[in-house]
This record gives sequence, C-alpha cells and structure tokens, in this order.
Amino acid sequence: MQTRRQFVVRGTKLVAVGAVAAAAGPTIFVRDAKADGQLKILQWSHFVPAYDKWFDPWAKEWGAKRGVNVTVDHVGFADVVPRATAEVAAQSGHDVHMFLGLASAFEEHVIDLADVVAALEKKYGKQVELAHRSTYNPFTKKQFALSDMWVPDPGNYHKEVWSKIGMENGPSTYDDLVKAAPEIKKVAPQMQIPIGVGLSQDIDSNMAVRNILWCHGGSIQDKDGNVVLNSPETLRALEYTKKLYSVGMTQAVLSWNAASNNQAFNAQETAYILNSISAYRTAQDNKLPVLANYFFTPALKGPTGTQLASEHVMSGYVVWKFSKSQDLAKELLVALVDASRDSMLGSKLYNFPSFFGAAAEPNTPLNRKQESGAAWIAAQCNKDPFGSTPPDKLALLAKSLPWSTNLGYPGFANPAEGEIFDTYVLTDMFAKAATGALSPKDAMAEASTRAKQIFDKWRQKKMVPGGGKDK
Amino acid sequence: MNTTTVSAAPVLHAGQTIRRADRRLGVFMLAPALLYITLLVALPFLLALFLSLTNSSAGSLEFSFVGLQNFKNVVASPVFRRALRNTFVFTFVSQAAVMVLGNVLARALMRPFFGKTLARFVILMPWAAPISLATLGWLWIFDSTFSVINWLLKVVGWLGPGQWYYWLGDTTLGMVAIITIHVWRMLPFSTVILLAGLTSIPNEVREASAIDGAGTLARIFQIEIPMMRPILTVAVLFGVVFTFTDMSVVYLLTRGGPYNSTHVLASLAFQDGVLGGDVGRGAAVAIFLVPVLVVLAIVMLRSSRRAEVV
Repeated sequence: MQTRRQFVVRGTKLVAVGAVAAAAGPTIFVRDAKADGQLKILQWSHFVPAYDKWFDPWAKEWGAKRGVNVTVDHVGFADVVPRATAEVAAQSGHDVHMFLGLASAFEEHVIDLADVVAALEKKYGKQVELAHRSTYNPFTKKQFALSDMWVPDPGNYHKEVWSKIGMENGPSTYDDLVKAAPEIKKVAPQMQIPIGVGLSQDIDSNMAVRNILWCHGGSIQDKDGNVVLNSPETLRALEYTKKLYSVGMTQAVLSWNAASNNQAFNAQETAYILNSISAYRTAQDNKLPVLANYFFTPALKGPTGTQLASEHVMSGYVVWKFSKSQDLAKELLVALVDASRDSMLGSKLYNFPSFFGAAAEPNTPLNRKQESGAAWIAAQCNKDPFGSTPPDKLALLAKSLPWSTNLGYPGFANPAEGEIFDTYVLTDMFAKAATGALSPKDAMAEASTRAKQIFDKWRQKKMVPGGGKDK
Repeated sequence: MNTTTVSAAPVLHAGQTIRRADRRLGVFMLAPALLYITLLVALPFLLALFLSLTNSSAGSLEFSFVGLQNFKNVVASPVFRRALRNTFVFTFVSQAAVMVLGNVLARALMRPFFGKTLARFVILMPWAAPISLATLGWLWIFDSTFSVINWLLKVVGWLGPGQWYYWLGDTTLGMVAIITIHVWRMLPFSTVILLAGLTSIPNEVREASAIDGAGTLARIFQIEIPMMRPILTVAVLFGVVFTFTDMSVVYLLTRGGPYNSTHVLASLAFQDGVLGGDVGRGAAVAIFLVPVLVVLAIVMLRSSRRAEVV
C-alpha cells in the first residue's frame, strides 16, 4: 500500500512536470508560432493624442505596402519599462519597443542598430548630439536604440502676472524665480503656487531637479562616468531650491504627478512651470481662459550662466533580440526617420526630429541637409500651423537645441542614470532639502551613497564606466 | 483452506483496484491545487529568495551572487526603514478601523429599516469597484491643488484664507489618505463577514442574556464577541495578510511620495525591482514580508483548527 509520503512525492513529481511544461510551453509555442510578415510595435500613449492618430495609420500603411501586418499597441508612459521587463523575462512580445530615453538598461537584449544609424547619417547627416548620447553606449560601443525624435523642455509662464511684476518676458535666470515669487503673491494672491516647479516622484520633477542641478554646476556623474553628486555645486543647488520652496512653492509640488503642473498652470493656479508644449496644446484644444497668457521662456540660467534643460522626451526605439522580424523592424525605423516632417506635424510640433536633415527640403545636397532641416523646423515654430496667437509664440523652440541636453549630462545616458531616474533619488534629495526634512548636506550625502551603490552595481555588470574618481 | 484462498483472492484484488483508483483520483483531484501552489506561490517565493542574493537586473538574464549585500544595503536605507514602519502602521491602523466600523455597520444592517437593501448594495460597492478606478476618484478628492475636501472645508468655514491641507504632499496626511482609502475598500468584506457571524448567534442566547439583565455593552463584549471569536479571527487575519502585502493604493495615490515617505514594503519592492530594474534589491525588500506572513499563517492555521473544534 502507498504511504502518505509516497503519495505526496508522487503528486509533487506530477506537479513539477506540469510546472516545467507550463513554464516552457509559452516560450516554445509563441516563438515558433510567430509568423513572418508581422511586425508588432509597442508605443507610449503620446502626450499629444493627435500624434497617435497620425502614427498608427502611418505604420499600418507602411506595412500594407510591404505586405506586412503591423500591430501598434499603446501603453501609458509609466508602463513602458515594466512592460519591457515582462517581455524580456518572457523572451516574447513585441518586435519594436519604444522607450522614453531610458532604454540603456535593456542593452543586453536588443540588437545593435549601428547599421541603421550609419545608413541614416549617410542619408541625412549627423543626428543631434543629445540623441546620440541617449542611445549609444561608448563603454560597450553598442548603438542599443534609435531616436527618431526628442522634445524640448521650455519654461511656461503666465504673461499677465509676470508683466504686472515688470518681467513681461518671464524669468531668464533661476534667481529671477526667487525674486519674482513674493511679487507674484502680491499681484496674484488667488494663485496657490506662484512657482510650480515639481519636487515629487514623477517624470517632470525628475527633469526639473536635474535642470536646477546642472545650472548650478552639479551633476550625478562626470563625463567619464564617475559619481560626483557629492559636491559644493550640488549643495548650492539644494540651498537654492530650499530658498525657492520657502518663498514661492507649497507642499502641493511634493505630490504632483505628470499631469499636475499642466493642470495647475491651465487652471491659473501657478505662474510658472517647466514643461513641453503638451499642456499648451491641451489649453488650445479646450479653449481655456489661460490661453491668451500662455507663453514660453528658454531654459533658465544658473548663477554662473550655465543654461541647460533636460530633453522632455527622448524616443529610444529598440529591436529585441528575440524578434523574428528584425530586418523589417530596422526598415520601419528608417521609414520613421524619413517621415520626420509628418511626425513633427502629427505631434503638433511636440516632436523635434533627431535627424534635422530628415526635415530638409527634397533634393538638398547632404552637406546642406541639416541646415535646410533646421530652417524648415524654424519656419514651423515661427508660424505655428496649429493656430497660436501670436503665430510666433513657439519661435524659441527652434533655438532650443543649444540649451537642451540628455539625461546623464555631462556624460552619456546609461543604466545607472536610468535607475536613479526611476527610483527618484534626485527628487527625493531635493524635496528633503527643500522642506527641511533633512539638511541640504545630509540630503546630498544620502543621495550620493545611493547613487554610488547603483553605479557600482552596473559597473560590476560592465555596462557603465568610471569609478576611480567617485566623490 | 483452498476455498478460503480461492474466495479471498478476488476480494483482495478488487480492494487493491479500488484503492489504486482512489489514489489516482486523489492525485488527480489534488493536482490543480498543488500545481497552483507550486507555480504561483512556491516557485516565485524560491525565485525571490534566490534573486535577493544576486545582482540581477530587469533588463538582463545574467547575474552573479552578491551574498547578503542587497540586504545590507536595504537595511541601511532610510527609505526602507520608513517603508517597514509604514507597512505596520498601514496594516494595523487600517485593520483596527475596519473592524470597529465593520462591527458598527453589521449591527446597523441587522436591524430592519427602510431602504436596507439599497444600503447593503451601496456598502458593497467599494468591494466591487476596481481599485484603479476608485483610486483615481480619490486622487481628485485628495488632490493637493484641487482637493474636494478642502473646498468643502473652505465653504463651511473650517479653513480660513491661506489655509490648505496638502493631503498628498504631507507625510502624515499622505498616510491618512492611504489608510482612509484602504479602510473604505476593505469595509464591505469585513461587514459581510461580521454580519454573517452576528446572524449565526441564536436569538435564544440574546433573549436569555436580556432576561439575566445584561445591558447592551455586556451583551456585545461578554456574549456576542466571544461567540464570534473564530469568525472575527479569520476576518482580521485575512485582512491583515491582504493589507500587509498590498501596494495598489500607495502606488496609485502617492507613488510612495512625498520624498519616498509613504512607501510600504510591497510598493518599495515594486519601485526598486520593477521600475528601477534592480531585481535583486527589490526581491530583498519583498523578502522582509515573509517572517511576518509566516507568523500570520501559523496563527491563521491554529485559529481555523480551533474554530473547527468549536
């Protein structure tokens, strides 16, 4: 007779066999079942919904011309990385995956797109430097992603309010924000948050605090990948933010999500935010009262004159190694860059081409393409085809390239910078210092320790350089 | 002798066949449960334990062993220590509130009143509503700039000029908001269980206590609660286990902010392991849930056995 132990052992063996079959089954069957002539793309849901209405039919039409069935799936921007994690774990899913500038952590699982970039550069000239720095790892020498577009991140200011305090063109330095905040409180007491720079755990705040850090001379890493967060420059940026918070902000900015600063500005509850033009387009679409006073400024200058802002979005298309349609995927990416003009117009001037030359007039010689493309971009911004009043309201965007930079400045974007971004190490540091939860020095020490842990981990994986000169 | 042997053999054979069939049926019937537990509980747990000792990252299938380094880093992190404390506060405060309010509601629902069916339906709504949708509604209620609560408080004169509650921008108010939503969400489940417990107490017992002169409080604390103890224990333990491992409200409402101060262990593990891509560290954070859950599981098993005896 079978004992209870034998019974359980036998049952467990049965279950183990079932478990292995269940785990292995999907991988085997899904990969084998993937038919040729299919291309699956995972895209974010664009902040300007008009873009998705352009992209989806464009991709399908591109596929139809080649007898390829193209599927486009959209996810919210916050789900782009978790979805990639799941697909890598399953070694199955989409062929092309679009990241928002942080694809570097997935380098091991994507194919090298150096040939695609080389072909595009041969056709259109060099891509913009911040796109190169966001999609190429100089340490492993791998072009892990392709950027077709990037998005400038200007300041958005309320013209009427700033005019009342004698600054009709808005602020031009970080110091201006500190000086203006008390004045704004006087002339616009109904506004809850005079200066709406986010210090919360969201994408916009992540960029805002980097802007403040860089313009005060600080950074997470140096150009060689050494962690240099622990510095007098960082301390100066934190002390500045503490001052700004005390004179011009409220606890609301500690809780903002990606939509909050847009909503606050559009509701005229704040006089200044850092954002792309998506909030402005929303105000236009809904004919909001703020529209007449909705204006833009370039990136602000720090105390030593440094003027930098993080790109607001940097597309990073990758092709997974597990994709059975890698060549098709590459063709699609080339076609997407070819369509840079349509892409920019489809996004209502939100997307800026990473290859300026792709926006050039037809038949322009290669050595003139970048210049020609820049001229076309400037023409759109100088006379907004989407109904801005005045028509040149977005003109400053055409000159945004010199003050725009990549995550990871002054080095390249890398997985360590990405992890610091996604776990809010910097926003945490700035918020703690601003609110007095920690002194600026302690907040910096805490963040620096965490940053070094993260960099060390990625260095062990040989994906990030530096380490010898960490501070 | 021969007769016995001849007659015994077929009987023994039939018994063996039946037992064998029983065993096969037993394995067949148990297999789904064992498969479920193995695939969705045992394997992920062992995998998490394994990963917590590695430098595994989300974008890579390669890793190396780092011993207890992840645990050392995690324990040294103020964010983790805060999350650990928050997990206990979140669990025990919300469960205490749920049990008290659940009792009140269950007792109210035992009495006949006009619109009782509608009241039951409304009370059950939060349990049926998807938490993501419900939290979006709450997000507006607690929004730091446009809070509905604050506007109401302004209208009734509670908040003067310049006064404002930053529900999600303040560490304490953030935890209050999280606990409030979780209590709202768990209350229907607890109410239904307690209502079932209350209705299972025979009316004769209540009548006898009334004849013996027991007042309302004596009846509740000396008769009804002791009689409901097994079902109360089960309700509390299920609630505690569910709450201890839940991250949905935190993730949807505050994302752990302001400055990573409202995380619970589950949401911090998700942030570090999935969003941040540090699977090893995320697994190490999640492993800290295990000792508490093991103790709770033992208590649950014991109490359910005791309930069977009762």
